[in-house]
Amino acid sequence: MTMESDRDSGGRGIRQSMSDLHTWVGLLLGWVLYAMFLTGTVSYFKDELSQWARPELARLAELPDAAVVAQRIADAFDKIAPGTSQWSVRLPDDRNNSAYAFWRTPTREPGQRGFGEAHFDPATGERVKSRDTQGGEFFFRFHFQFHYMPVLWGRWLAGIAAMFMLVAIVSGVITHKKIFVDFFTFRWGKGQRSWLDAHNALSVFGLPFHAMITYTGLVTLMALYMPWGGQVAIRAPAERQQLQAELSSFTQPGKPTGQKVPLASVESMVRQAQERWGHDNVGRVNVSHPGDAAARVVVTRGDPGRVSMSPQYMEFEGTTGKLLSVRDQVGSAAETRGVLYALHLGRFSDTVTRWLYFLVSFTGTAMVGTGLVMWTVKRRQKLPDPQRPYFGFRLVERLNIASIAGLSVAMTAFMWGNRLLPTTLADRSNWEIDLFFIVWAATLLHALVRPAKAAWIEQLWAAAALLALLPALNAVTTHRPLWHSLAQGDWIFAGIDLMCWVLAALHVVLALRTARHHVKVPVKRKVERRAAMAAVSSGAAE
Amino acid sequence: MSHLLAFMLSLAGFAALASATNRQQRDLFGKALRPATTPMLRLVAAAALLGALSVLLVQHGWGLGLVMFSGHTSLAAGIVVCGLIVYARIQAPKLRHR
Repeated sequence: MTMESDRDSGGRGIRQSMSDLHTWVGLLLGWVLYAMFLTGTVSYFKDELSQWARPELARLAELPDAAVVAQRIADAFDKIAPGTSQWSVRLPDDRNNSAYAFWRTPTREPGQRGFGEAHFDPATGERVKSRDTQGGEFFFRFHFQFHYMPVLWGRWLAGIAAMFMLVAIVSGVITHKKIFVDFFTFRWGKGQRSWLDAHNALSVFGLPFHAMITYTGLVTLMALYMPWGGQVAIRAPAERQQLQAELSSFTQPGKPTGQKVPLASVESMVRQAQERWGHDNVGRVNVSHPGDAAARVVVTRGDPGRVSMSPQYMEFEGTTGKLLSVRDQVGSAAETRGVLYALHLGRFSDTVTRWLYFLVSFTGTAMVGTGLVMWTVKRRQKLPDPQRPYFGFRLVERLNIASIAGLSVAMTAFMWGNRLLPTTLADRSNWEIDLFFIVWAATLLHALVRPAKAAWIEQLWAAAALLALLPALNAVTTHRPLWHSLAQGDWIFAGIDLMCWVLAALHVVLALRTARHHVKVPVKRKVERRAAMAAVSSGAAE
Repeated sequence: MSHLLAFMLSLAGFAALASATNRQQRDLFGKALRPATTPMLRLVAAAALLGALSVLLVQHGWGLGLVMFSGHTSLAAGIVVCGLIVYARIQAPKLRHR
């Protein structure tokens, strides 16, 4: 945060050391952290973005009865995936207008995942045909496992970046000498001082959130980063199964008997769950070995209203519908993990809390962004020749442009791709993602070939234009333009259109301010440069 | 409704906290306030913030209430700073003409 030195008579003080640590851990993976923060921030609305990305799926004016929908999907599975050993359906809720299901395929071709997936119309139970897209899920996945690399590598990289972030937060707090005195301080138009004040404000106001989100982000993948304790303590297959049951409602299906017995009424099982947790508070239905005497049905509790991701479910005998067990709580260690996991994802949130998550997370993104920019602002004033900075400075400056302004362009391009790529295009969802990376790479190329200031301005204007025109594109390529959404009370489509304009305005302000900004060359250096130029011209005259 | 009330109380709390700092007193009122006023403002701020927390805890329980309180206070603090920046920007030309 603050870079002020705090030297004592014996040499470098703790604050100076922490300041240096803060500067370098913040910079080295800052670009990765910025991308993680921004894509993670928009992921608080990933379900809404996914709805927007599939305009063919009609808006749910009223939430359908989960029990009836579950029965419809169960009936559909008899035809869609006969012989599957397990299927699972996420029931529609106020953020999801379809029932999303996946299932194990009975046969697995080489190179295939062994899973099928589809969205279902809650009203009919029919599989719905919508454009092939990952929607908001892409940003969500990207923010912790990136893309074009093995998932585990991506998650390790995200973990290392999160550790850097944690070190940056702690060292920043130690460095910030006047955290309370300067709590409300912002000095306008003071160059580096203003950047520092902005960085401090963005850091301090959201500090509880920034610390929480970084730490809990590590907790979500703790079994990957630190598997050794569990490996030593829990060895027997039965113990591992018990551990799995503490962490998730998904269990490995046991062995089928081979005796064919139809599934009992899933609707009545979901009704029992509704009586227990509330009418609209059922999350998923997981069925193993449907149609077999060994069938089991698990109905899970929804996320709203409880700050925990620990599994809560009711298990039924599939053939009779008899309630076998109810899991209402887990052990204290598992519950600690469940609470921290839930704090990170925020799925328990009502609409207001979700917006609070989004806004405070957005300040976290801005915190990382201002930190990155400040690295160049601070050093620019010390450059011997600002027109010819050294390689490291140029590298940081260009990476800043592509990772901050360029990411805005690329993310919006992903949404343009969603509307413009032909729906018949093979492997369409991957093409949307490829487009995101092609545009992002193009912004880096642009940042490398253009003067830095021009590159900032052009990319900020490009992002503003793409964002401002996206509602228009939506209006001409779908049947759900803004005026229609407003008239229908469809706040997901209307909200995204309006938010595009808010973000476009933000990028316009940034572009205008960047265009007006002039680097102040210190007077002493100006005099030196004039003297040098005079010497050169007099030399030329001779 | 509890969100609105908690947010307004958080906003009032941070506005009072800002008014209790020396720098903001000089910027807002042109001088430091009387010595007894500053602790009073801090007391008001603490009461408002505790009020916001109470509203959320009573309405939503400990888990959700604490999360919401953190969000409301962060947002309220940010808005107070933005308000101070805007106020200073409006006042700056007037001060230059004096």
